[in-house]
Amino acid sequence: MNSRYRPLLIFLMAAIVGAASGLFGVGGGVLLVPLLVVAFGFDQHVAQGTSLVALVPPTGLLAFLNYASAGKVDWTVGWWIMPGVFLGGAAGAHFAEELSSHSLRRIITTIVFAIGVWEASRALR
Amino acid sequence: MYLLYLSIGLLVGVLVGLMGIGGGVLLVPAMVYILGMDQHVAQGTSLFLQLPPLGLGALLMYRKKGQVDLRAGAICALGILLGGYVGSKVAIGTASRDLHELFGLFLIVAAALMWLKPESRQSPGEPR
Repeated sequence: MNSRYRPLLIFLMAAIVGAASGLFGVGGGVLLVPLLVVAFGFDQHVAQGTSLVALVPPTGLLAFLNYASAGKVDWTVGWWIMPGVFLGGAAGAHFAEELSSHSLRRIITTIVFAIGVWEASRALR
Repeated sequence: MYLLYLSIGLLVGVLVGLMGIGGGVLLVPAMVYILGMDQHVAQGTSLFLQLPPLGLGALLMYRKKGQVDLRAGAICALGILLGGYVGSKVAIGTASRDLHELFGLFLIVAAALMWLKPESRQSPGEPR
């Protein structure tokens, strides 16, 4: 997928990722990273760095406002979790440098799959 | 209790930097199971706490190594902003239980995508 339409395709892909992001209250990186790798041929590390760029602006803002106006936000918990994520993020990025792209993919896939199966099975009970 | 919140944040943060993601994928289940929140509130709170640039510290580490495609990142940001509006409208109209189930399926799909092998190799700096 290496053409002048590439930016447009990336935009469309991101819009779909955004819909999932608003639907599930996640940042979108979990879909963005594999899609950049699989569909657009990014290296794993570069895909992760690029995904972080996309998450620096408040891209969840419109989605958040919809949740906030529906009264679906716990402000206290939100404020208290923030600093940890910021500090932990820098530390995690440092560890990522030590790991190969292959190991990174394996770690992420395992964690996300495990949580997915857990969530889906809980819901079915 | 606040110490628990801080620790959840710290743990999720490490994975954020490690995986280059926003953290919602881990935050939402953590808030539902550890803090006993409703699925909708967990999702709304996850979006709220991701408003500030929490991945900035992680991003700077990637940037130092030249592992960032700024243009593609900016395009993705715009797409996610607009798509997020639509997705959140759908979510608010969906029952918590159904949402919970869908969330699990979403993660399984995401994991399956990650499992796929990249179709071609291309560095982001190449002319397109």
